[in-house]
Amino acid sequence: MSEHEKSVDQHVGELLSGMVDGELTQQQRQLVSLHCETCDECRENLENLRGLRQRIGNSQLSELGEDQWRENMNDKKVTTSRSIGWLMLVGGLLAIAGIFLIAFILSDEIHIGMKLILIAIYGGLATLLYSVLRQRLIEQKTDKYKDVEI
Amino acid sequence: MKNDDMKQQLVQMGNGAHALATQILGNADDAADAVHDAFAKVLRRPEAYDASNGPLKPWFFRIVRNRCIDLIRRRRPADDTVDELIDATPGPEGLAEISQRDEALQQALSELPSGQREIIVLRDYLDLSYVEIADIQEIAQGTVMSRLHRARMALKKELTRDE
Repeated sequence: MSEHEKSVDQHVGELLSGMVDGELTQQQRQLVSLHCETCDECRENLENLRGLRQRIGNSQLSELGEDQWRENMNDKKVTTSRSIGWLMLVGGLLAIAGIFLIAFILSDEIHIGMKLILIAIYGGLATLLYSVLRQRLIEQKTDKYKDVEI
Repeated sequence: MKNDDMKQQLVQMGNGAHALATQILGNADDAADAVHDAFAKVLRRPEAYDASNGPLKPWFFRIVRNRCIDLIRRRRPADDTVDELIDATPGPEGLAEISQRDEALQQALSELPSGQREIIVLRDYLDLSYVEIADIQEIAQGTVMSRLHRARMALKKELTRDE
């Protein structure tokens, strides 16, 4: 006989916790009530469990205040330093790319035809990269199955 | 859900999440880090929360719990039995932060295995339903009552011993 199919003369065990939490069916509640009318041990356990639940509910197991969590959540130092870091990295890379591009265009050592070919190759690569990145970004934002764990 | 509304709700859940993480990790400082990481994860992609799948509270606590488990695995990657790993008692700093009034309760809780501490906090401190607890702990709904009862009886025993 399982814990949930007890007769009224048996100790009701875990059903006492279910009773305290209001998680029993009507039939189970009746069984526990009837049993506790005649069983001092289970009645005492039921009262103890109610007291324990109340005690834990009224306790303070973490003493950090809401302000602290708000501050923690909006930690400006972290978000600002991260933004500055990205800005510097992207800015630096763009500056280097610009300098090389200008030097390349103004260079007299490379024939104009070769310049156009190289610009077409690198321009094509850059366009392909942009296209793939854009597609990935759109997929990430719109894919409704992205959170499904396989 | 608007981002500001979500932030406000998360702020209100901060203490509960910290209490849960403290019971899992056994250390208040690590617990604060875990809650911070969970905040960052949620706010980085708030659209990941789908209100049609249930309230924000159990969803967020599940993220906090998973983050705690990640931290434990990172601490000791050789072991993979989470229940054994998280069976640590709070350090002196953690205990010092608990108010005098609840010290006996905290002490008794710290004597229990982490799984029992966690389920007690989820139900009796955070007031989550059995369905929500089953979802967070990834266990069958029918198992919650028996685990919770065993945990409560163990806590009662510890409290009686201390008092």
